[in-house]
Amino acid sequence: MPVPWEALIPFGLVTAMFGAAGTLLNFSKREQNYGKGPRYHIDSWDAMMMDRDKRITGHARLQKSDTTAPVGFETSSVWYTQRAQ
Amino acid sequence: MSSTYRDGSSASQPYQDPTPLPASVPKVNELGTTSAPLKSAAFFIGAHCKEFNGLCPSSDAVTQDFMLCKAENRDPAHCLKEGRRVTRCATDLITKMRENCLSQFEEHWQCLEYNNQEYQFCRKPERALNKCMFEKLGLVKTIPGSPKGVKPIHEVENPIYGRMQK
Repeated sequence: MPVPWEALIPFGLVTAMFGAAGTLLNFSKREQNYGKGPRYHIDSWDAMMMDRDKRITGHARLQKSDTTAPVGFETSSVWYTQRAQ
Repeated sequence: MSSTYRDGSSASQPYQDPTPLPASVPKVNELGTTSAPLKSAAFFIGAHCKEFNGLCPSSDAVTQDFMLCKAENRDPAHCLKEGRRVTRCATDLITKMRENCLSQFEEHWQCLEYNNQEYQFCRKPERALNKCMFEKLGLVKTIPGSPKGVKPIHEVENPIYGRMQK
């Protein structure tokens, strides 16, 4: 008796759609974070450090390991004019 | 257009502090290292700045001085001198680290960046970095406040928690 392979097409389609959605989401997250996964469990210290990274390199996920600060780094902090939380 | 309110999020220029430090305050170059390399070097900054003397030979425990000063008074103007010392010490250490252990340092902080800047997933590069730092600069990573008689967590050989998925 012939195997009803046409009945398995929807299963294959659903699996492929799940895979495609997951891959696209992963790719989108990696693109936004320079090839790394997104940061999670971010507390206020991490938020402050990520803001400092943005002031140094221009993006919150870009890192720089040498000690020279960009021009204007000393005066680019909004901290002094922020409302106390 | 006399007095329309303009929210900070709609600024056209990046923020620039309108009242920078006066010229009477000595200028020290700010540390331009971002968060992941700083986290990698954190314990070595603690170890190094215990002995770093800066310009004044009688001072030691640079970081401890700064923390004690902050505990007295949180006003930024109160601890400028100690803050300058900490900045100089940290800059000095990171420069030395990059001279001596650049590849191990880069590998460790890049591993940290892939793992949400958490130490427990990057023990292997950390061991290589600790070994290099001890050989070249004589600095040892110690976790302050860890219980005595128990192996510190960064020296445990096979920790029970690992990454769930890559």
